Amino acid sequence: MLLDKIGSLFIKFLCSIGSISLFSARAVISGFMPPYYWKQIFYQAIQIGYFSLPVVGMTALFTGMAMTLQCYAGFSEFTAENAIPSVVMIAMTRELGPVLAALMVAGRLGAAMTAEIGTMKVTEQIDALTTLSVNSYKYLVFPRILTGTFLVPFLVLIDDIIGILGGYLVGVYYLNFNAANYIRNTLESLVAWDIVSGLIKGAVFGFVICLMGCYHGYFSKGGAEGVGRATTNSVVASSIMILLLDGVLTFVLF
Amino acid sequence: MEYVIETEELTKTFGSNEVLRGISLRIKQGESYVVIGGSGSGKSVLIKCILGLIEPTGGVIKINGKDVAKLSPKELYKIRLKCGVLYQGGALFDSLNVIENVSFGLIYGLHVSPKEAYRIALEKLEAVDLDKSVATIYPAELSGGMSKRVALARAIATDPDIIFFDEPTTGLDPITSGIINDLIVRCTKEMGISAVSITHDINSLKHISDRVGLLFKGKIIWEGTNRELITTDNPYVVQFINGNSVGPFTAAS
Repeated sequence: MLLDKIGSLFIKFLCSIGSISLFSARAVISGFMPPYYWKQIFYQAIQIGYFSLPVVGMTALFTGMAMTLQCYAGFSEFTAENAIPSVVMIAMTRELGPVLAALMVAGRLGAAMTAEIGTMKVTEQIDALTTLSVNSYKYLVFPRILTGTFLVPFLVLIDDIIGILGGYLVGVYYLNFNAANYIRNTLESLVAWDIVSGLIKGAVFGFVICLMGCYHGYFSKGGAEGVGRATTNSVVASSIMILLLDGVLTFVLF
Repeated sequence: MEYVIETEELTKTFGSNEVLRGISLRIKQGESYVVIGGSGSGKSVLIKCILGLIEPTGGVIKINGKDVAKLSPKELYKIRLKCGVLYQGGALFDSLNVIENVSFGLIYGLHVSPKEAYRIALEKLEAVDLDKSVATIYPAELSGGMSKRVALARAIATDPDIIFFDEPTTGLDPITSGIINDLIVRCTKEMGISAVSITHDINSLKHISDRVGLLFKGKIIWEGTNRELITTDNPYVVQFINGNSVGPFTAAS
């Protein structure tokens, strides 16, 4: 009985992986074939890249500030305060920047994508697209996945900068670090690979967030309740995938 | 004789639920065919199968003589351009205004220039008795009747050969329903378009149909002309038309 259940869950899991893989393949392949929906791509770029900036920026600022304070509490016991700028810089670029930006984008945009596409699904708007001879994967899914993959790294970069700036503000104006020393320590520990690895993570997370958001919306059913359930599933799945992939990518890019 | 739509032994099963059980239909050029039947009898599934939105389990569907199962995706898209659909809820795109909705199929399906598409869209809006002033309104701001008219304008915008109407008067008051029925008759008869409709609305049925098929438990159990609908003594049709609670139709069926 228990084996039955485990087996059936495993098969369900494999079916989901297969279904998501097919979905993403359809979207990507259709997207690279003409005609190209530039207007949709531009619209999604504004939604993802521009309108996510405030929430990503705020998160980064306060994380950078809090991190500097927490590091100070620990490092001051070993008179290692000079290491704080480097630690904040490395933590923001390699880890916190990509993960926090991705989680914020998943909460804000992943949910919105699922809700929008899910509503289109249950109100037959996706059927209408198909009967108007428009490939719904190409029109709805590809622009989101494309812009998510290319613009989440951009958000990560902004997140890194603002996070480090938050650390600088607390370090210099609250903990009375010397401004020039703080900047020098930060720049000295700056390695291009730290930033690049964060951007690579951002691209993968962006792809996953948009894929999950679109997939759950596209296959939602059962009216408003179904769309609500799909939205929750989308955010939970994206968040878990972000954390899981973060672990994997950190090992790969270490 | 070549039919615009032909189905042979069309079946569709969802799990163990057999929704369509061998439907054979033949719809002629310029004919308005209406499918009636109780809720859950498979009317919407039938239309979605014909349109290729749902893959049938078995049987053959031919549109303009072409077996849709044998068509490439590209050919299927071309066939779909010759089909207009008026969905039950309108299915207007929320993020686009009226003119963008009506011109959508022209721009993205037929690749007409936006300027030309807007000109055609305005003509189609006029054809459904709407003027320029609604062009920039978004679907959320439209009444039920206006939404249906805009959806009808969108359905005829690409000059289709066949239009599918999915419960076109559901949720509308009798007067607006009458207006929509008139528009449907005008659009189909004046333009010579074939129409396949599904409806529960008996007034609408009498108004828009040339021929009627009664769907019961996944099968067409009666077929006849608009006139035969009134004169037949088939107990299923009589009960359905008169809305009697007693008869072969039961709540469970």
